[in-house]
Order: sequence, then structure tokens, then C-alpha cells
Amino acid sequence: MAEVILENICKTYGNNFHAIDQLNLAVEDGEFLILVGPSGCGKSTALRMIAGLEDITSGRLRIGGVDVGDMPPKDRDIAMVFQSYALYPHMTVFENIAFSMRLAGKPKAERKKRVDEIAKTLQLTSLLDSKPANLSGGQRQRVAMGRAMVREPAAFLMDEPLSNLDAKLRVQMRAEITSLQKQLGVTTIYVTHDQTEAMTMGDRVAVLKGGVLQQVDTPKRLYESPVNAFVAGFIGSPSMNLFEATLTGEELMCGTFTVRLQDAAFVRRPGLRPYAGRKVVFGIRPEDLYDSSLESGRKYQTIPAKVTSIEELGSEHIVHLNIDAVRVDSGDPDAAQDFGMTSNAVAKFEPVSTVRSGSEIRLALDDTKLHFFDPETHLAI
Amino acid sequence: MTRQKRSRHRLKRAVAPYLYLSPSLVIIGLLMLLPMVTVIGYSFQNSAVLRRDPSFAGLKHYQAIFADPVFWASLWHTLYFTCMSVVFHMTIGMVFALMLNSDRINPTLRNILRVLYILPWLFTAVIIAVIWRLLLEPNGVVNSVLMQMGIIGYKVEWFSSPETALHAVTFANIWAGYPLFMVSLLAGLQGIPKDFYEAADIDGAKAYQKLIFITIPQLMPIIISISLLDFIWTMQVFPLIWITTGGGPIYSTEVLSTYTYKLAFSSYNLSQAAASAVIILLISLGLTLFYIRYQKAR
Repeated sequence: MAEVILENICKTYGNNFHAIDQLNLAVEDGEFLILVGPSGCGKSTALRMIAGLEDITSGRLRIGGVDVGDMPPKDRDIAMVFQSYALYPHMTVFENIAFSMRLAGKPKAERKKRVDEIAKTLQLTSLLDSKPANLSGGQRQRVAMGRAMVREPAAFLMDEPLSNLDAKLRVQMRAEITSLQKQLGVTTIYVTHDQTEAMTMGDRVAVLKGGVLQQVDTPKRLYESPVNAFVAGFIGSPSMNLFEATLTGEELMCGTFTVRLQDAAFVRRPGLRPYAGRKVVFGIRPEDLYDSSLESGRKYQTIPAKVTSIEELGSEHIVHLNIDAVRVDSGDPDAAQDFGMTSNAVAKFEPVSTVRSGSEIRLALDDTKLHFFDPETHLAI
Repeated sequence: MTRQKRSRHRLKRAVAPYLYLSPSLVIIGLLMLLPMVTVIGYSFQNSAVLRRDPSFAGLKHYQAIFADPVFWASLWHTLYFTCMSVVFHMTIGMVFALMLNSDRINPTLRNILRVLYILPWLFTAVIIAVIWRLLLEPNGVVNSVLMQMGIIGYKVEWFSSPETALHAVTFANIWAGYPLFMVSLLAGLQGIPKDFYEAADIDGAKAYQKLIFITIPQLMPIIISISLLDFIWTMQVFPLIWITTGGGPIYSTEVLSTYTYKLAFSSYNLSQAAASAVIILLISLGLTLFYIRYQKAR
């Protein structure tokens, strides 16, 4: 077990494309760190550089205190779980798990003992003689984990290992991987584009965009205090609603409505005062918007909105709305999908809500949960 | 729909596939099955083709063939020629395919090599035979180069010497046939997921271990299929040997195809030639059944 430290890591391809720019990250011994970001943000490239499958253009990489930047993958004391699992179809589960030991020339008895131990942990004992083609997605995933575990590495690297599984199995495997990581206590770096995985699995989450690290923090702090509009939009599902407004005195002025701010908002964010009379970006999460006709929304101020569509999920209603304000793009392509063509806001209502598509409603908002960002830099205020 | 209409519809559906198949079945029947059955018939007749009312000969022609030392020499030469060809086709094809699939070679050079390596495939057997007859002439390029390099001390008569003729025709056939393996294996190599090699890199596999544990097992279905097909095709090679050596000198390159041809068109012993052809057919059939069983097993 070891800490993994990335110092000013850069990756530039031949066509001058900067895949990773000055990445600084310290993953503590035994920590479960999630690298998350939209497609093409460089998260897989960063993981592959740690694994040694991609060259590092500049910067230092240390695993367990050893500078491994120029070392081949096998000498880095890491194990990797691939998105495709990379199980050899011509080998049995036993042979797949024991492959690295076979390459290292370990005796057969030792191989068998170790594989049996791992198979027991992963509940694969009855499948050791099966070929990968005869396994389910979840079983293959476990074999891939077993192959990584057999090496007893200093760090696990996982590249979107759950993306090939169906939604239900993904939830189950999420819990299994998390508990396994806690049980083994091995430093783990896990790449995903799924922010639910990021929020539920990791001790800390590093958010990347365009090869640049945006924020690395605990899931709770990422959710509550995003450093910029991108992180605000990326973390949370559906994405945070972001709008442009003018701050006049203690009110946010949008098209035909205003949002009153309490003094506490300025106390919590002293940086907000200088924006008086200027434009500002404000954000509110879908779960902080309420149906004003229900008890839960009665205590909050309301703004006018038109319901464009409703997704009834049973436990909640995802309500797409149109409000008279200019929506701000967080820079996350997935966030844009949450809003669609006809709506510019999204709210999570309780399932007892009776709002109907096409109706004009009063939308209640919890103004204590507002987030503020600079309209130019999109940095949090 | 009335019952009558329904049964007519059912009949149409049952017959339709056979109607679609019928043109190819007729062609196969006329051009393959009929000659095959006729040849089998000839092999049991005395003076087949030559006489209008040939008498039944039983297994006489088969006994004559099995008693002929030239037949056994031909069988041995065919096996040597075929086995060596298949083994070297596969080895050379694999080496070239690995080279062409390697990232370490410049892409432009790779494209040039790809064209160069595939060239032998573009020539017909007659052209290949002529090329190698010219190259392996006593005064040809091969002798001259080998002598200059000091490998041989005199002009070797590659196709005219009983010691070298079989090796020379086998060599020419190897040269002509490896591109099939190369192209097939290259396609197979390109289909092996890159993740397999990356996982092996992390596990500490050396280049030869990746070849043994990943590449070859992944290519095995292609290797077996193409080897079996190549075995069947090479066993029946005729023009290359006929044009280069004609089966000589002193039967040293006689193979089953030239042996049969000579029986039929030099000795006009068509019945015995038919018996020889049936023996070749049985060997090919055995290999083909093996191939079909392997394909089914997959």
C-alpha cells in the first residue's frame, strides 16, 4: 500500500493537443479517489499515465515514494481493472486470475492457494473452471477484480469498470467494490464519467475538465461548495440550474421576477456585496425547488414558471420548467441534456405533486441554498 | 383464409428455399458430382473411356497403384511438399503479419511492405513457375548470388538434380503461398483487443510471453482453419510442379497430381488414373471432413 502523488503532470500529443495540463494530485495511502469528468476531459489519460500505459510529457509521478515516471507498468506495483475487463477468452477464470503469478514463475501450489483465497473473497470458487464467455457481466467484473487483487499491488487503478453493466447490477457492484476496497485498504484511483458513482464510492472526488483539475474534495463538499459553475453543474443529478441575474440591493433581478436575498446570504458570502448593480450567475439545485402548493414549499418565496414536461419516477417527479431568466451553460455537455430544447430549469418535486405539463405554476425556492458565480470567470463567489 | 388457401401458402413456404437453391444445386450436380461419380465408375472398369463396353475390373487398378513404387514415392513427395509448404506458409505469414501489425514500424514503410509482401499472391501459378525456373537456372540469379556470397562453390542445378528438385519446387510454392496466411493473420491480429496486451504489460509479460499466451491462442481459430484449407489446396497443386520439373528428374518431384496426370495422358491408362484420382479424392475428403467438423465445433 502506498500514496500516489502526481506533480505538475502534463500530457501533450503530437498534434499539440494538451490532454492533461499541470495535474497536481496527492492520493493518500488507502484512499479511494475518484477521477470524474465529462468525455474527453483526460481522466482516462491520467489513469493510463499512472499505470504506465501512456508516456508522461512532463511532471513527476511517485507511487509509495518511488519516482515511477520512467518505469514500465510491471515495475510500478499497480494493478488495473479495464473498462472491457480485458479477460483472456481462451483462459479459464483460474488461469485469468493466476496469469500474473504464472508469468512471474510462481509454483503451481502457491498459485492455487492464492487464487482459491481470492475466489473465496469474490465468491468465484464455483466458477474457477469456467471461461469468461460463460460468465455474466457481474461475474466477469469480479474476475477482473480478482486478477488485480492477486498481485497484491500498492495501488488499484480502475477505468470505468462498471460502465458495461446494466443499471441494477451497477448499483450492486458499486457497493461490492466499495466494501472490498475498505476491506483491503489498498489505495485506489477510480475513473468514471458517472457522477453517481463518484459521489457514492469515493473518499474524495477529483473533477477534471479539458485536462485541468477543477476541484478535489469530499463528495459532500463538492456538492455543497463547488468552486466554479462547471463543478456545480457536473455534480448532482439533474444538474444545478444556473441563471444570469442583476444584483440590485438585496434582490436578484431576472426577466419579470425578483428573488429576495436574506442578510445571511451576504454574511456567508462577503464577496457578493461588490457585485451590487452588476450581473451575477446564481445557481439552485433541482432538489431545492419546491411545488408551492405543497406543504414543503409553503415557507419559501415563489417565482412564476411554466411546466413543460414531467418525468414521474415513482419516488419523485422530475419537472422540466421554463422560467423568465437566461440560463447559463456550465460547460458540462451532460448538463445541457437535462434541460432539453423547451425548458431552461429542472426541479425535483415530491410524488404527491399534482402539477401538469403545460400549466403555469408558482415555483418555491429555498434562497438559503443559492450558489453564486462570477459571470465572466464562472468562479464561485 | 380458407383451409385450401392456408395449405397452399404452407406448401409455397416449404418449397421456396429449395427453388432458390436449385440453380446452384444443378450446377454442382452437373460440374462436380457427375464427373466425380463417373471417375469413381471408371476406376472399377477395364479400359475405361477407350472402349465402348468396358468390363468390370473390381479393385484391380487400386491393387496396381498400391503395388507401384512410383505411387508411394509420389505420396511421400506430396506429403513432404504439402507439410513443408503449410508449415512455412504459416511461419512466414505469421512473421510478416506481426511485422506489419507492429507500431514500431513507420506507417509509410508498413504500407509499402504490405504491398511488397502480398505481390506473390497476385501471380498465377504459371508465372510463378516461369519466374522460379529463370531464377533457379544454373546460370540464374540465385546461383550467381549464392556463389558470390561463398555459400556454394559450383552452379547447382536446382530443378534438374534429384537431390534438390523437390526442395526447389517446395521453396517456390512456399514463396507463392504465404500471403494468404499473412493477410488472414494480419486481419486476426488487428482484431485482438489492445486491452489484452496492456493488461499483460501490467502483469509483467515479456514480448515472447505475449505472443505465446495472447497472440497465438487468439489467432488459433484462424491458424487451424487456414492451415487445413492450405493443406487441402496444396495437396492438389499441379501447374507449378508440371511447369518447373514435370515431376522429374527420375520421379524426384512426382506428386499425386502429376502421377495421375501422367497415367491418364502419357500412358493413356485412364482406369488406373481414375483409381489414383479416387485415392486423392478420399484423402482430400478426409481432410475436408476434419475441417468441417472443426468449424462445427467452433
